[in-house]
Amino acid sequence: MIAADALRFAWRSVSSQRMRSLLTLGGIAVGIAAVILLTSIGEGIHRFVLGEFSQFGTHVIGISPGRIAARGGPPSGLPTSVRPLTLDDAQALQRVPGVVGVVPTVWGNAEAAARGRVRRTVVYGVSSGALPVFNMQVAVGQFLPGEGAEEARNFVVLGAKLKNELFGADNALGERVRLGGQSFRVVGVLSPKGQFLGMDLDDTAFVPAARAMEMFNRDGLTEIHLTHAPQASVQAVAAAAEAVLKARHGRADFTIVTQQEMLSTLSNILDVLTMAVAALGSISLLVGAVGIVTIMSIAVAERRAEIGLLLALGARRRTVLRLFLGEAVVLAVLGSLLGVAIGFGLAQLIRLALPALPVSTPLLYVMLAVASSALIGLLAGVLPARRAAHLDPVDALRAE
Amino acid sequence: MRSADLLGFAVGAARGNRLRTALLMLAMAIGVAAVVTLTALGDGARRYVVREFSAIGSNLLIVLPGRTATGGINPGSFVSGTPRDLTVDDAQALLRAPAVQRVAPLTVGTSELSVGGRLREGMVIGATAEFIDVRQLRMAQGRFLPAQDWNRGKQVMVIGAKLRNELFPNEAALGQFVRVGDRRFRVIGVLAPTGSGLGMNTDELAIVPVPLALAMFNTNSLFRILVEARNRDAIEPARRQVSEIIKARHDGEEDVTVITQDAMLATFDRLLGTLTLGVAGIAAISLAVAGILVMNVMLVSVAQRRSEIGLLKALGASNGTIRMAFLAEAALLSAAGALAGYALGLAGAALIRALYPQFPAYPPDWAVLAGLGTALGTGLLFGVLPARNAARLDPVAALARR
Repeated sequence: MIAADALRFAWRSVSSQRMRSLLTLGGIAVGIAAVILLTSIGEGIHRFVLGEFSQFGTHVIGISPGRIAARGGPPSGLPTSVRPLTLDDAQALQRVPGVVGVVPTVWGNAEAAARGRVRRTVVYGVSSGALPVFNMQVAVGQFLPGEGAEEARNFVVLGAKLKNELFGADNALGERVRLGGQSFRVVGVLSPKGQFLGMDLDDTAFVPAARAMEMFNRDGLTEIHLTHAPQASVQAVAAAAEAVLKARHGRADFTIVTQQEMLSTLSNILDVLTMAVAALGSISLLVGAVGIVTIMSIAVAERRAEIGLLLALGARRRTVLRLFLGEAVVLAVLGSLLGVAIGFGLAQLIRLALPALPVSTPLLYVMLAVASSALIGLLAGVLPARRAAHLDPVDALRAE
Repeated sequence: MRSADLLGFAVGAARGNRLRTALLMLAMAIGVAAVVTLTALGDGARRYVVREFSAIGSNLLIVLPGRTATGGINPGSFVSGTPRDLTVDDAQALLRAPAVQRVAPLTVGTSELSVGGRLREGMVIGATAEFIDVRQLRMAQGRFLPAQDWNRGKQVMVIGAKLRNELFPNEAALGQFVRVGDRRFRVIGVLAPTGSGLGMNTDELAIVPVPLALAMFNTNSLFRILVEARNRDAIEPARRQVSEIIKARHDGEEDVTVITQDAMLATFDRLLGTLTLGVAGIAAISLAVAGILVMNVMLVSVAQRRSEIGLLKALGASNGTIRMAFLAEAALLSAAGALAGYALGLAGAALIRALYPQFPAYPPDWAVLAGLGTALGTGLLFGVLPARNAARLDPVAALARR
């Protein structure tokens, strides 16, 4: 029997029992739709989180004090007796080839007061090069001026929300703000940036790193951020920076993380999550497969006479096997196509309802879903189809 | 028809076609087993976390430096970087609060510990004698830090069980000296292993008196103050009193966050509960698929048994009786499948417990009830249409086909 005939045969037996086929299709379709919808949401979350990270500048390398042990290591920011990273270290990193900017960073929590209004906020001690690192834009005024780290003046640049809370709609430039007991002059206000994983990036104040270290009474930096030229190799810059710091500290008592490393770690975690969700969804697929087995074995039992006739007319057992396998596969694939359509439609609905979540259907999972349902159809068809193929034509015809 | 007869009829129909019945039950069973096992996993995670949290101590309040007006988590919440320190004296002042039973100041840092040639980076905790009672830890050997003035301390150290094994693999630890940074500490006690503690595994800790730790890390600020309220009802008053005392000591500025253990627990409880519910929901989709299968098979069954139905009707069976008969069959199949799935799910949960003994993976009652209920419900729901089809058959037409 040629392939086209086999396909037509399968199609006819599927379409002759509409209700039954439709329900079997439905079972597979629900399973596939669940997988597609869940992976779409998973992929959406993946993109959302990575998108959040793009709020930071690209080409950034972070250096923090302390060696991170193999099993995780200290949470950043904890005090440590390990030698701290200092402003001098940051200065030395300026000489590394390929490095465009060095931003010594120290952060903490302080009370900001101005015009009788008080607000607790996050204070970042940084340098003039921080704009590209945090991917920020100045709305009014200017950012911290580039001056020697130690003799930096008491200037502050306010985040959009902090400025609104303290000064409302008034002009803030030139005003004085008390931060942790010290007086700072406002030289600039940043454009709003929004949230980052639940943290408000606009409720911040940026002051020179040396002043922040005084304020928090720390002798070390929380982190040093390096920005490197886009064409420079990340690995080369990281290695050179490591060499410089090693020479200064005598040993590697610090940790260097490039942005790629951070993103790929995160990306891996989120991929695993999507896969886990897909696996959960496939439980329904399994049940759908049981459905195909059931319906196919019913079909074989009902069509004994037909099979007997085919065999009696000289059809080979292999042909009969293939016919019933083909029918199972047709059922499964049609169901999966229906499921993809439903899942995709639901995903688009979610996209409309929640524009913030970039729900997107990963093509890989769509193809995987269709392929796996074809495989499921094949596997589920084996048992009934073998039974059909091994019928004795004489017995089968007598059943009529 | 009596209900016993109804049941007999359904059982007869189910036994008449064993393969079909088995497959149908398998489909239901997979769905129910998935719900039961997955919720056992989720609820196990919830119980595990709750137990870990409760193991920290009871009636606890945690005072941490720093606060933001925005609320939520901030980089500033994790570090002790605030202009005004949360000091040991602040902790001492908290003892004045009437609702407070015990206070344990705490400072945490990482450092390098070395004994002989062995070097290890680890967490060092600065604590006081109260720490062991507040955290409800037990000693394996020796004694805990001696009770003394919080602003002075001897160079002594208590280490966790795992740290002890790593630093002193073959010798007695008590009385030995451990070098931390540029100081030497004499080991006076070893903690009993607990293997828990959420992020701060007590088995790997080195505990030294708080003033020495502050000096070593060159800071004045504590990392946390653990406060134990007198009893459960005293937690809320204790929270208010603690906030007020610190505020008064900090020139009227409210620059600390006070978290109750219960609030933290409730957050995790809710989070993991929602997660379990979500996972159960996803698994329950498979029950819907099984329901569709029930409908399909019942429709086939009705079609195949037309003559039988016709005969029943010709003998005077009412439409209602026929409907009931087929509904009973659907319900019986679903219920049997659901029970098999429940057994399978329990086995799955037991397997998880066997593989991870510290993980209390028991399916929650609500999930079991919901799983069984949904299975039975979908079976009945999807059985309605075939049963109606059967009841509507015209007896003459049905019998004429023969």
